[in-house]
Amino acid sequence: MSEVTKFGSRRRFLQFSAGAGLAATGMLGGLSRADAAAAVNLYTWSAGVDTVKRQAAAFTKETGLPVNYNNLPFAQYREAMVTKFVGQAPIDALWVSDGWLPEWADAGWLAPIDGYPDLIKYNNDVQSFCTESTRYKGHQYGMTYYTDYMAFLYDADMLSKAGISAPPASWDELVDQSLKIKKAGLSNYPLMLPMARESWLIEFMSSLVFSNGGRFVDDTGRAVMDDPQHGAVRSLQWIVDAVNKHHIVSPACVELGELNGFKAVASGNHAFALLPRYRIQALNDPRQSHVAGHIKQALMPAGANGSHATVAWMRMHAMSAAAGASKTRAANAARLIEAFGGKFDGQYAFQKAMFLDTGTAFGVKPLFNDPEVKAAYEKYGDFAIFRKQQDLARKKDVITRWFGEWDETNGTAWQAAVLGQSSAADALKTSARKWANLSKQA
Amino acid sequence: MSIQGLSKRWLARHSVSGSDQRSAMLLLLPMFAVLFVVAVFPVVYSFWTSLFDIRLTRMSTPFVGFGNYLETFRDPGFWAAVARTVWFTVGSVLAIMIIATLMALLLNQEFRGRRILSTALLIPWAIPYVVDGLMWKWIYDSGYGALNGLLLQLGLIRHYLVWLGDTHKTLALIANAFVWKEVPLATILLLVTLKSISPDLYGAARVDGATLWQRFIHVTLPSLRPGLMLVAIYEAMMAVRHFDLFFILTEGGPADASHVLSWHIYVETFRKLSFGTGAAVAYLLALATFAMSYSIIRLLGKRL
Repeated sequence: MSEVTKFGSRRRFLQFSAGAGLAATGMLGGLSRADAAAAVNLYTWSAGVDTVKRQAAAFTKETGLPVNYNNLPFAQYREAMVTKFVGQAPIDALWVSDGWLPEWADAGWLAPIDGYPDLIKYNNDVQSFCTESTRYKGHQYGMTYYTDYMAFLYDADMLSKAGISAPPASWDELVDQSLKIKKAGLSNYPLMLPMARESWLIEFMSSLVFSNGGRFVDDTGRAVMDDPQHGAVRSLQWIVDAVNKHHIVSPACVELGELNGFKAVASGNHAFALLPRYRIQALNDPRQSHVAGHIKQALMPAGANGSHATVAWMRMHAMSAAAGASKTRAANAARLIEAFGGKFDGQYAFQKAMFLDTGTAFGVKPLFNDPEVKAAYEKYGDFAIFRKQQDLARKKDVITRWFGEWDETNGTAWQAAVLGQSSAADALKTSARKWANLSKQA
Repeated sequence: MSIQGLSKRWLARHSVSGSDQRSAMLLLLPMFAVLFVVAVFPVVYSFWTSLFDIRLTRMSTPFVGFGNYLETFRDPGFWAAVARTVWFTVGSVLAIMIIATLMALLLNQEFRGRRILSTALLIPWAIPYVVDGLMWKWIYDSGYGALNGLLLQLGLIRHYLVWLGDTHKTLALIANAFVWKEVPLATILLLVTLKSISPDLYGAARVDGATLWQRFIHVTLPSLRPGLMLVAIYEAMMAVRHFDLFFILTEGGPADASHVLSWHIYVETFRKLSFGTGAAVAYLLALATFAMSYSIIRLLGKRL
């Protein structure tokens, strides 16, 4: 295709579209960028809103800088922020998920923070997979405020009733224990494994792949997911067998998302579950769960040539390129990022507050030694296992600019394998082919 | 010929003075402006957009002519989505027309409780699609859904079945939720048509010794044709571009079982942020809707 005529630019396209839309609805004139520019414009998704507001208020009190705080639903955050970037909305600091970093950095929407010693001085305190997740093409783009990982949870009461004394240490052992529980009539489908087409799917699969000693791509970025030697095929085949051969996972897993999976476990339907670790707090809360007090965490079962590794995700505070280009805005944004991602009042105040308020984990090691944090966690979980598993967590190996588009293919291909419409090997060949195509296009 | 041009010609033909013409045009201008902004401009602009390779995450937006259309035609996923859309549309519209006809015939009779039934019939229509989708998601849920509970209590199944997660059932189940929501409006449209049929026609048919079935075939059905055509066109347009239930119930899955054209447009535009391709598919869908409506008018409107 030739590049003979240009539309203009993405920005013109969006501005033109938005302008037409606003004109049609008579909303022009309501916008005032001058007001927004006076404050530090912070965009987050709607998590821990009260905690963020509290920290923003403390920041304003300390620095005298007002914070213009905006939040959007996580499900629409990427699309909404992309539109805002292209339309040049005033953004100074923002939350970024590790999965979007390459896309946003390549698009020129984020400013590296390497040049801010006050920010990168915290790197030594941060877990290595978190720091790795903030880096792209040799630059660091943010400071972590939250990280978590896929955890293996079990209902200790149900295991006890089935005469099982310890949770499974391997995926094979998990099959044996599940069959035993099934035979005892305690659960039709002992393992809850969500396989719906949603952003969680890659996290669930990655935890299986990593614990099977596998990779989706190698260090050079080449797809190895279809290579039987690299664990991905073995992992998907394990799921296919769990559904269709052993019947320990419901065939309805393809319509089960993470949230409904959590609810199913909370209702006492399952003995084992793969869920984000933070869910253990709600699962052991009697107001939210029928199995409160019985849910425990074990290390991720290991595959034949694998380990107890799991996948972790990371969210960070980043600075917009627009803010980075202005000395004053950049300085203000950096102060805000430090107040949220670094120490404030001598401690990692925001990460600690988020942990205490919402149960979301942190990426800074010193908080593992905080007695208040430990005491809070021990009310609903095993702090030692929490930390041990986090130390074994790894960042996803598929984070690229084309990750989102590639992941669309996975939903279809992997579900087809689970439903018996294709083999696990063929499903991963489809994923690998798509990866290679996108990689070539990029 | 522009609308303004036509209006001027009409005004001239009807001997309206020049100043009146100008006043009339002036009064019409705001409406033309609104129509242009909300109707004409988006149609033209979306076509213009479809001629460019616009990806929001990429700096350049090269002109590709009909490249997006060609790329779409070469994509087997697009044709699979077309097939599913046709299946969903034909199945839904047929079901709506049959059920709505029966309901309209029933409500056209005088019987005790007719008013209550008429009011109850409107409930699905009054429910927003998002709520409709969430309600059916609960009903179809394989773990705690009401459908499994009902079938189990009736002894029709021995254990809970997977509904939306079964690729063979997914599209039919979504169509069922769609039909449930759309039947009330279709019933009202057909009922209005039924009310307009002269009772003399039925009287004459009775005198000629026509049976109930013969009266339905030779009197009711031909008289219902305008209503049926309206229902067919409206419901086909609704079905072919329907999105809400697919988004809430299955997100195009499981595998690709409910990946219809509207979902295809959503994925291209908002997940891949490929506005050019999304606009091209949307334009194809609009053309297909137009062609379909025209075919229905030709098919059912012959003897109007």
